[in-house]
Amino acid sequence: MDKFVLQKDTLPKFISEMISKYQVFAPVENGDFALFKQIKKPSEVNLKFSNSKVPPKALLFEQTETLFKFTPGTKGKIDQADIPDGKTVVFGIRPCDAKSLTILDHVFKDEYEDPYYLTKRKNTVLVGLSCTQPDVNCFCTSFDDGPASAENVDILLTDIGDKYYVEVKSDKGKQLTKNMNKLFTSANDKDGKKKKEVEKKATDIITRSTKTDGIVDKLDKIFDNPFWKNIAIKCLGCGTCTYLCPTCHCFDIQDETTMTKGARIRVWDSCMRSEYTLQASGYNPRPTRMNRVRNRVYHKYNYYPKNYDIIACVGCGRCIDNCPVNIDIIDVVTEAREVKA
Amino acid sequence: MVNENQLREAVKNTVSRDDVKYVIGYKKGTYGFQVTPAFAFDSKDADELIFSPLCTNNLAVYPMLEEKLPLRRGEEEDTRKIGLIVKGCDSRAIVQIIQEKGLKREDVVLIGVPCTGVIDPKKINAKFPHQTKTVDVKEDGEKFVITIDGKTNKISKDELIFEKCKHCEHPNPVLCDILIGEEIKSTKKEDYNDVKTFEKKSLKEKWDFWEKQFEKCIRCYACRNACPMCYCKECMVDQLSPQWVRRSVNLSENTAWNLMRAFHLAGRCIGCGECERACPMDIPLTKLNKMIEMEIKEMFDYTPGLDAEEKPLLAMFKPDDPEEFIL
Repeated sequence: MDKFVLQKDTLPKFISEMISKYQVFAPVENGDFALFKQIKKPSEVNLKFSNSKVPPKALLFEQTETLFKFTPGTKGKIDQADIPDGKTVVFGIRPCDAKSLTILDHVFKDEYEDPYYLTKRKNTVLVGLSCTQPDVNCFCTSFDDGPASAENVDILLTDIGDKYYVEVKSDKGKQLTKNMNKLFTSANDKDGKKKKEVEKKATDIITRSTKTDGIVDKLDKIFDNPFWKNIAIKCLGCGTCTYLCPTCHCFDIQDETTMTKGARIRVWDSCMRSEYTLQASGYNPRPTRMNRVRNRVYHKYNYYPKNYDIIACVGCGRCIDNCPVNIDIIDVVTEAREVKA
Repeated sequence: MVNENQLREAVKNTVSRDDVKYVIGYKKGTYGFQVTPAFAFDSKDADELIFSPLCTNNLAVYPMLEEKLPLRRGEEEDTRKIGLIVKGCDSRAIVQIIQEKGLKREDVVLIGVPCTGVIDPKKINAKFPHQTKTVDVKEDGEKFVITIDGKTNKISKDELIFEKCKHCEHPNPVLCDILIGEEIKSTKKEDYNDVKTFEKKSLKEKWDFWEKQFEKCIRCYACRNACPMCYCKECMVDQLSPQWVRRSVNLSENTAWNLMRAFHLAGRCIGCGECERACPMDIPLTKLNKMIEMEIKEMFDYTPGLDAEEKPLLAMFKPDDPEEFIL
């Protein structure tokens, strides 16, 4: 791993350099929150927010994605959609969101290779930014991760006062910084120490947490426990928690047509919806919100680790921040561990 | 200020009745200023219940969310009542649902609390950020008393309450079985100034504004699900044949969704603002609903959710309707 420092006043230059070679997505202020948007100049970037409202998974696994277009009728034909293959940088992605992409890779790569996600993933460089001000409901530390983890990014920037500590992790990262030598100076031990301090300080801000050891086995034992009904009774059945979750990845496929043209699209779906598992016969294996809320928790903390050996929750806290009725996954998991099987 | 002991006592009495299955109220949430809906199944559960200016949720949504699974042979439907703590706006939602025959009056036991306005979580979180531990808020005349880490802050109510609460004409429950405390007198008036100012803008300005708002929509339907008046068994947006709104999330479909929803609430929305509170993307949905509310008031002199005996606006005709809009 190469380590550099980048003076703060050089950051705009660094961003400009990236914009000249890549399409750059970065957090942009939108009212009271930030959204990842494509930027054309460095001044559009806003790094004061900790997590973006919508996770950056939406850049690679878009909420609405055209799979192909077609002309209906007997002389109909299919036009393969062009999968955007431009070189992309996601700048300012937080370590937890970067980890979510590593988690999502299993879904889109392991059994079936999804060209739409994978093409974008291959062409995307993640330039992460360590959290110095984690939010109230941040709990990434519960998953042996941290606010300044460089594990899942190509480059990690950490604000160490008047400069950024830059860790170049991967070949993609090296490629990106290749001709930018004059922007960086090499880091010394003092800078490395400073990063550790910043990381420690940020970690200390995170006070909410849950234990996750043994959760898979525990959930296996309490599937039919009335506990789930108590958790879910106040659920309204909206899709906020799932849509804003960086690891939720369920989608629906629809044909949208006019008289003369059509497209097969894929859109985000949510297991919180009553029609999610509704079968054509009218039978629904998850007929109540209890089944659906339980499924959300199990998918993250039981099914996913069983399939891929990793918990599908990164502790970003978005589902907690945005739930209109305060269903709090930290509490759900903590209480589930206490339930008598 | 609602006397919580009196409230808990009322809940205990209600939940102990043979004809009541549970009572829905509020309890402390899991962090910061969060308060969460709580279901009391017995009088022990009632001990957890609270009422404070943080109790924003409109609990009238829950009777309509009751899930009725098909009965097994020999099983009988549980027709016991649902108890509910209602503020002024919440009670209006129940009245409107009764008007529309969504509920029968005898389906619910209403425990009413007079309310001088509830706190907008966005405002209080901006004022006191990063509260991981739960914080209590008490009322003291025209001020809220907020104690954090032993330090007491007094803040004027107007600074923290929802905009809709500043113009609330019905601080007392319009319908209830038990009233906790005394009715409060209020001189607040809905002047629709916000909508009127907005209305004066040019068409382009208004359209640009809404485009910006609807572009953000992620179609999670939190607005719909938090709304006590959105209780269709199958929402038009979920229907596939015909498909009224496409699943594609883009400006056009998002606009269709948000406007169709606003129109479906015409003459029905009681202005509790839950849609806007629930919206993760901060879309100012109250603006849309208030606009329609104002026009209906002007055209038909009708305010929804006041009288359970009255017919819903779209189901009645008055010979003396002003009807100035008919040429």
